[in-house]
Amino acid sequence: MMASSKLAVFTVVFGVAYAVIYVISTEVNLPLLTYHPVIGDVDFLWTPERRGPAMYWYGWMLTSLIGALALGWIASAVPEPWVQRVILFVCLAAVAYLLFYTLALFIYDKATVELEFLKSRSLSVVAALVVAAAISFFAPAKWNQRLWPGWVCVVPIGALAVLAYYLTPYFTR
Amino acid sequence: MAFWTILLIIHGLLAVALLGAITHQAVSVWMPVRSKAGNFVTRFRAVPSTSYVMAIIVLYVVTFVMGAWIYTQYRFTSRLALEQLRFFKTVGVFEMKEHVATIGMILLPAYWAFWRQPLSEDYAAARKNVTLLLAIIVWANFLVGHIANNARGFGS
Repeated sequence: MMASSKLAVFTVVFGVAYAVIYVISTEVNLPLLTYHPVIGDVDFLWTPERRGPAMYWYGWMLTSLIGALALGWIASAVPEPWVQRVILFVCLAAVAYLLFYTLALFIYDKATVELEFLKSRSLSVVAALVVAAAISFFAPAKWNQRLWPGWVCVVPIGALAVLAYYLTPYFTR
Repeated sequence: MAFWTILLIIHGLLAVALLGAITHQAVSVWMPVRSKAGNFVTRFRAVPSTSYVMAIIVLYVVTFVMGAWIYTQYRFTSRLALEQLRFFKTVGVFEMKEHVATIGMILLPAYWAFWRQPLSEDYAAARKNVTLLLAIIVWANFLVGHIANNARGFGS
């Protein structure tokens, strides 16, 4: 089986990494710069609004761009199976975390006794990492031979789902 | 205000061109014609999909940059009015538009790599999927932009 071209590996990892870093940047609010449209000022990193709203979108994009370029470059330099393995692991962990945390909150909600520990995110994170590691370890070898180009669609769609979820307050008030 | 209105109109026109190009390509790649072109729908599907790639990339980038520029004006004029009018759903879908546009932008390098000549059979499925996703993104953003402009367009 032929390896994927370095260009394809770079572009796929760039897209995947950008989507993930962008979601983190927006939710944790990590802009590389802040733009104040009323006064036309640009500040480095996050700054609060002054005389009008502050815009962080450009900063989030720059943060994600730098991170994605770095990861894309690293990915095109390391063996392809490693890249595939890392992306598979991260995606499995993300899906497992979502399932575990939803399940934990559901059980907490329905339980007749107080199970406060179920509300802890770290418990779900640890469980998700263990499950993702186990599945990655036992995954058939052929899954990890080449980088799956479909990641460049799957991960951004997942990122959009998360971003849409965080915008639900706009639709429920 | 006239400047921003002109910019918005150009942004809209570029979006229409992009919409046409990406729709043509997505249809031709997902429903390729096997026989000679006949009626309008068949001819619509019969376009050479590879010839659209650079036009789509350029149109997307230019439309995106113009949208990002207009966004600075939207942020402290139209959006404030929308919030005061309690049009939260409109503000929400527009917030989503900025994220969707960004995600579309980051697909472009892979889209370009998958469509490079000679077309690789290894990326046939990925090529189709990325093109479809890009088409959905462009359609979604076009409609949302339209809704936001109808709710509180420039000059209103």
